Amino acid sequence: MFSNVKRWLSLKRNGHSSIDMDNLPTPKTAGDQSLSNSRLIVLDLETTGLNTAKDEVIAIGAVAIEKGAIHLDDQFDLILRRPELDIRETVLIHGIGPEALTQGQETKEALLHLLEWMNGDPILAYHAEFDKRFLERTLKAQLGYTRSHVWMDVAELMPAFFPKAEPKGRGLDHWSDLFRLEVSERHHAAADAMVTAELTLIALNTAQKSNVKTLKDLSQKLRYQRRLQKMKRF
Amino acid sequence: MRQHKHPLLPGTMVLFMTADTPDSTLPQNTRAIMTFLREHAPFSNMDDPHLAHFAENAKLTFFSDGEEVLSPDGDVVKHFWVVKQGRIRGERFNEKDNRAETTFEISKGECFPLAALIGERPTRTLHRAAGDTFCLSIDHPAFVTLFAESEPFRDFCLRGVSSLLDQVNQRIQSTAMASIGSSSSLDTPLERYALRAPIICTPDLPVNEAVARMHENNVGSIVVTDDQQQPTGIFTLRDLRMLIAEGADSLSTPIRHVMTPEPCRLLASDDAFDAAMLMAERHFAHVCVVDDNNRLIGVVSERDLFSLQRVDLVHLARTISTASQLSTLISLRHDVSRLVDTMLAHGADSGQVVKIITTLNDVTVRRVLELNLKQNDPGIPFTWLTFGSEGRQEQTLLTDQDNGILFDTPDGMTEDQVREKLLPFARKVNDELAQCGFTLCKGNIMASNPKLCLSEAEWDDWFQRFIEASTPQNLVYSSIFLDMRAIFGPDEPLRRLFSKVLTRIEKNALFQKMLAGNALQRKPPLTLFRTFRYLNDDNKKVLDLKRQGLAPFVESIRVFALANGIRAANTLERLDELAKKNVFDQKDAGAWKESYSLIQAIRMRAHQDLLANDEPLTNYIDPDDLNPLDRRILRESFRQAQRLQQKLELAYQL
Repeated sequence: MFSNVKRWLSLKRNGHSSIDMDNLPTPKTAGDQSLSNSRLIVLDLETTGLNTAKDEVIAIGAVAIEKGAIHLDDQFDLILRRPELDIRETVLIHGIGPEALTQGQETKEALLHLLEWMNGDPILAYHAEFDKRFLERTLKAQLGYTRSHVWMDVAELMPAFFPKAEPKGRGLDHWSDLFRLEVSERHHAAADAMVTAELTLIALNTAQKSNVKTLKDLSQKLRYQRRLQKMKRF
Repeated sequence: MRQHKHPLLPGTMVLFMTADTPDSTLPQNTRAIMTFLREHAPFSNMDDPHLAHFAENAKLTFFSDGEEVLSPDGDVVKHFWVVKQGRIRGERFNEKDNRAETTFEISKGECFPLAALIGERPTRTLHRAAGDTFCLSIDHPAFVTLFAESEPFRDFCLRGVSSLLDQVNQRIQSTAMASIGSSSSLDTPLERYALRAPIICTPDLPVNEAVARMHENNVGSIVVTDDQQQPTGIFTLRDLRMLIAEGADSLSTPIRHVMTPEPCRLLASDDAFDAAMLMAERHFAHVCVVDDNNRLIGVVSERDLFSLQRVDLVHLARTISTASQLSTLISLRHDVSRLVDTMLAHGADSGQVVKIITTLNDVTVRRVLELNLKQNDPGIPFTWLTFGSEGRQEQTLLTDQDNGILFDTPDGMTEDQVREKLLPFARKVNDELAQCGFTLCKGNIMASNPKLCLSEAEWDDWFQRFIEASTPQNLVYSSIFLDMRAIFGPDEPLRRLFSKVLTRIEKNALFQKMLAGNALQRKPPLTLFRTFRYLNDDNKKVLDLKRQGLAPFVESIRVFALANGIRAANTLERLDELAKKNVFDQKDAGAWKESYSLIQAIRMRAHQDLLANDEPLTNYIDPDDLNPLDRRILRESFRQAQRLQQKLELAYQL
């Protein structure tokens, strides 16, 4: 695994991007693909703040769910930049000096790899709207990329499949507490993505039993859930 | 694993900006899984690269309550699983009762299905989630890599729970060591330890004379004091060793030149824990105990602190063996219980504790016999035999008397005439032992029973009938009479008798098989609710540690021991002998010794708790009262008992 990173970095150092901008995967739509056979991306971003127009993405953590399991050999854990850290410290790890690598290029490269890795699969996130806005804005600003992925909100998914559950609030922590999940490191993008994915596994398990079989079923279920929420509000 | 369009693209993208630990080159979620694994056996002993290999190749799956995880109808097992959260229940269908029964339970950090994976076959047990459950798994290639490269992992997979027990046991020992620091016995003020008058000298005394004084008094240190009895230095055997190793010119130099000045000192009101900490910190084996005016009162050595119980034992044994009347013996029983308490608090091994109880019981029995002989000697040479748990030297505080007499018939007397003389004597001894706390045997297995007060020839006859005409009743008695020991009188007659008994048993395959069948009557209490099988329906949460826990070990091991001509009666000694004779694999014997000792330890702790609350002693416990580690230990120990019984079944094709 690590040797792959090195290889990628060495390619970068030589000035070749390993990604072909023009052949990025096409985002899939929520169609008749069966849920159990689809690959789903569960993603979490770490940002410098909550302002989707101004703040910056610092870290991207994501795991993939496939065939009802989270595969640890298929994950994305990337810190884009650490303003508080001296770039010299990073030389130790990736062997690239500050002169060879400006931060902008690094972010660009990382985002390209994220797109490549996501492979156009649907993206789930907790309070997905937030991550969606940040990611789409960053992709546009850095790469000029404007295609949109299918996004689903795990914050909607949970009450949709567990209408009787009574978490102590609507946050990720509340749901993970309810299912007694442990977060390895709070507010670490990858760790939060992991716990979100664990909740997703629980929800998908119930989905299988309640005749929600395809991506389309799932997205309809979520739409219905949203309408229900709106009705409740009035 | 994953197929990507671009061949150069890594499956996992990681780029870290910090380099504080080697781990930090790994993704957060991989590290988190490694952290989880490290808390559990066998992962706790595995090297980081192997753990990383596991974590990187792991897959996390969720199963809702009741969902099937692995089924006997499935294919050859291809994955190695670890419970990350929740529980997995093993279920077998009982055709007789027409219902599924739980055969085992796997909880957080435990692995499955080892046997099927190693045997490359489907599982034989339906694995079902009990409660919402997350499991980690690795596929066959990753498993094979770990199996080949990690020794602790391989060992664990091959031995299953037995190596887990090793680790649990190691943990117990380290907790016991740690708890020495907090156990109540070390809250004892030092003034109670340092009762001995310290060995002292003046600063001008030549070294050789100081050493002579140490030697005379059999101590390892001498304290150098000034006119006001204040310690100014200490000289220990270690200092002497150093002095000689460094090639001292003369041993007649005044001690003040070679002593350690300003010795460590504590107030008499400080406690043993302070002393232990001081010694541990400064690497000193001796600490001076002083009063408020800095005057020396005594010296506490490391040995004083940690073998206090041995001192008590010697003292107690001596007091018992010199007691001049029965009432003293009766009152000393309380001290025995207190000693056991101290030893357990010090984290003593249960094997040691039962042996010590047996030793003290032996001393008591001998003293009762001696006092009776003094009063009224029947004038017949005899050996006092003891059977059952006392014969095995496995007595706890809750004990029945099981004894008998092997006498030497004097010339000109018939055996019945001898009995006429011995039985009243034996009756009195049995009664007095009962007053000392050895409950009268309900089955009348006592020396005062004419059937158990026999000559050597009669005993031989008796055993011959016992072995050759095995009746169900005989088999019940096998647990008593085949574990015997002489505790008073000549040893030789019993030795001769027992050799004959052993030879007869070794030759009699049928008797062995019946013994084995009998040993399998008591099954370890594992199955139903939360894996423990309780005593009966009335006592929903009760386990009988003696009959359900220890007996399966004692009885199975007895069969193997007798069949292999092993003379020892003690279960742990029998296990050692069986391992020596290669009847048992060394590691199996070790695991069984530990399991047996662990159950015994839990039983003794329960006894001490009952005593502390003035409740009558029983062997019953509610596992829910135990802490999770003890519960797990108990469960693993019972599993080991099952393994042992399986070995017996196999050996005798039962």
